[in-house]
Amino acid sequence: MIVDFLRPGTAADRVDGEVPPQVAEPDTPQAFADVLKQASADRLPTVIRGGGTKLSWGRPPATVDLVVATSRLNRLIAHRHGDLTATVQAGMRLRELNAALSSQRQWLPIDSAFDQATIGGVVATNDAGPSRHRHGTPRDLVIGITLALTDGRVVKAGGTVVKNVAGYDLGKLVSGSHGTLAGIVDVTFKLVPTPQTSATLVVWHPDAAALARDVAALDATQIEPAAFDVRMQDGEMPFQLKLRIATSPAACDAQIAAARALVSGQTTILTEIAEQAAWAAQLDPMGHGDATVRFSWLPSRLPQVLTMLEEMQRSGTRLLFAGRVVGTGALQLSGEMPALAAAVERLRASADVGNVVLLRGSRELKERVDVWGPERPSDRVARAVKQSLDPAGILNAGRGPI
Amino acid sequence: MSGGALPVPGGIVISLARLNRVLDVDIPNRRVTVEPGVTNLEITRQVAPFGYYYAPDPSSQQVCSIGGNVAENSGGAHCLKYGFTVHHVLEAEAVMPDGEIICIGSSLPDACGPDLLGLLVGSEGTLAVVTKVVVRILRKPETVQTLLAAYNSTSDAGAAVSEIIAAGIVPAAVEMMDALAIRAAEAAVHPNFPPADTVLIVELDGPVAEVRELFATVEAICRRAGATVVEVAENDEQRMRIWRGRKAAFAAMGRVSPNYYVQDGVVPRTKLPEVLGRIRALSERSGLAIGNVFHAGDGNLHPLICYDERIPGQSKLAEEVAGEILTYCVEAGGSITGEHGVGADKKDYMPRMFSADDLDVMQQVRDAVDPHRLCNPGKVLPTPRLCGEVPGPYRAHPVEKAGLAERF
Repeated sequence: MIVDFLRPGTAADRVDGEVPPQVAEPDTPQAFADVLKQASADRLPTVIRGGGTKLSWGRPPATVDLVVATSRLNRLIAHRHGDLTATVQAGMRLRELNAALSSQRQWLPIDSAFDQATIGGVVATNDAGPSRHRHGTPRDLVIGITLALTDGRVVKAGGTVVKNVAGYDLGKLVSGSHGTLAGIVDVTFKLVPTPQTSATLVVWHPDAAALARDVAALDATQIEPAAFDVRMQDGEMPFQLKLRIATSPAACDAQIAAARALVSGQTTILTEIAEQAAWAAQLDPMGHGDATVRFSWLPSRLPQVLTMLEEMQRSGTRLLFAGRVVGTGALQLSGEMPALAAAVERLRASADVGNVVLLRGSRELKERVDVWGPERPSDRVARAVKQSLDPAGILNAGRGPI
Repeated sequence: MSGGALPVPGGIVISLARLNRVLDVDIPNRRVTVEPGVTNLEITRQVAPFGYYYAPDPSSQQVCSIGGNVAENSGGAHCLKYGFTVHHVLEAEAVMPDGEIICIGSSLPDACGPDLLGLLVGSEGTLAVVTKVVVRILRKPETVQTLLAAYNSTSDAGAAVSEIIAAGIVPAAVEMMDALAIRAAEAAVHPNFPPADTVLIVELDGPVAEVRELFATVEAICRRAGATVVEVAENDEQRMRIWRGRKAAFAAMGRVSPNYYVQDGVVPRTKLPEVLGRIRALSERSGLAIGNVFHAGDGNLHPLICYDERIPGQSKLAEEVAGEILTYCVEAGGSITGEHGVGADKKDYMPRMFSADDLDVMQQVRDAVDPHRLCNPGKVLPTPRLCGEVPGPYRAHPVEKAGLAERF
């Protein structure tokens, strides 16, 4: 393969422990597509990399022959603040994008656990944090996309307007595809105004049932949180809920007061830096520890989910859990490999939870339990689409969900 | 609206009208499972007693089915704040072209893998036949406040909209109607709008304290932008009156013109004044009156082109005018359809928005899912026109002409 932006891989380019022989860093959308076309012709198993923060997600690689990094495709192409939209290249960091958007008091409401996370990476993994309570996941915010295909073409779908039903929404299709269908070149998002002010009510409980009661009581009201999370950790008061109100000042005070009056646990109100730190901590389970598992549940099953986690804890697994009240969360586990594998299998066997994915873990663990879980009937459709877009099967080969 | 459901010669029409059961109403989990023939409004009817509603609210919500909403990714007046069908559907059961029945998406968050549900919603029936839908419902907002502001020009009203957005306020709805649309609505449902060149309708919803605080700001912005009259709805009855005027605008056109063509295009919100100016010039040049009713918050235009089919050449002219408006939308960086779909009517306009490669990859995806091209063939993506297809302006149904039924 002869391309001038190609270099040999180094230890810093490792994918789940494997050093790739080659790394490409294309600097134009067409160069991105050209390198994929060449890799496809040469049948090189290829991993697309943004900030490299979630490179260990996925099955352990059999081989990785090429890493294509989006590091040189990192510009903010347009911020149309009057239209509340922005077009940004895949390699730009989410943090940098939001810093740029803040000059117009707007932001892209996606939280990432990772400081270096890029736009391409958050879309490809559809990774979302507490702000999803109000704003959804990245797929809900994508209104247009440009893709680099393995046949060397650069194509687009959607557009730059928030309302648009012309043609297939390929931006949604690649959301959550984990780099298995095409390279993301740039993305157009709808943005939201930065709230005037915000505050967070934190409620502590010694037991899970009391926490679940407070969550249900708050959820039944017409209070409109920007984020609404639960947390379970070690210590005297292991259970917590966090409710963030982000709106105009008087409305913020009124809703926080209304929420506080409803709950039975011990409460604190956080603002400013303390508030930011509390929400950043909700993303803790994504890193650290020996493994991270993401799973989902129906909102009414929260008590059962917490009971199951308590039982795991009693059986000797150390854990930290942060969940969204909408019914999804990340569980950080620490312990011996067989115990971790048993925890994942227990979650998969439970009727109360679903969509159990082992995001992070040792190679040994990922060889013991499947990362993505059992086959779903719709995977057949996803694979037909992949076969069409990546006929040589090079993109995230063997690692991704399809 | 776009001929998406037109039968094709030699084709089979599968009607889902009898799949009309509400299968499950799960209030604690805020989910409702329905068959595709259930109407949009029926979902809200089912959950309203519990204080919930289904957010997407196309003007036709009394009659349109959820299956059609999924096919078209329908929005509605409130989609500026709440999004479209794709943001509210969690899972769909679909019959695939090979006859297999599968579930796409997940009623739990974070289904893993590519977002096939996001591909399916809005695919206009070209990928599969949806036979069951799980939607999420929302808690009814604590309060709703609506105002109507009258302006001497569309650009004054447009300036008010820009200022509201710049103030960091996302209203539940922002709608605009011009003089012709106002006149038609008055003739049909008598909403008693003040005399004006343009009326702007702004609605805020949410917790009482928030709406109270932001509504005062919105009202001040509307006045500052030159409103001649600002009417604040004091109660539900007054609010309904304002919305009745807005929602009846399409059908009401029949009162002021023998025939009309409803166009659907989108422009970036900031380009609204420019594009409306071009449409006005086009109206003068062509001699056809054009009424404008649109979702100003998201730039979705619905120009209503008036003509008289009894005058030779006018139907053709109306079609050309409608096409010209789409050109303005695309040139302004917008879209050829915001909510009515591409269907049969607009597939020939697709190359104005997308390159041959863009369209080719969409066809590739379609062929991957439906290799024998069984599902709604000939729609959405441009192909040589089949004989027997007659796209064009809306033709009134006989019962409508007789005044026995109303079009939404």
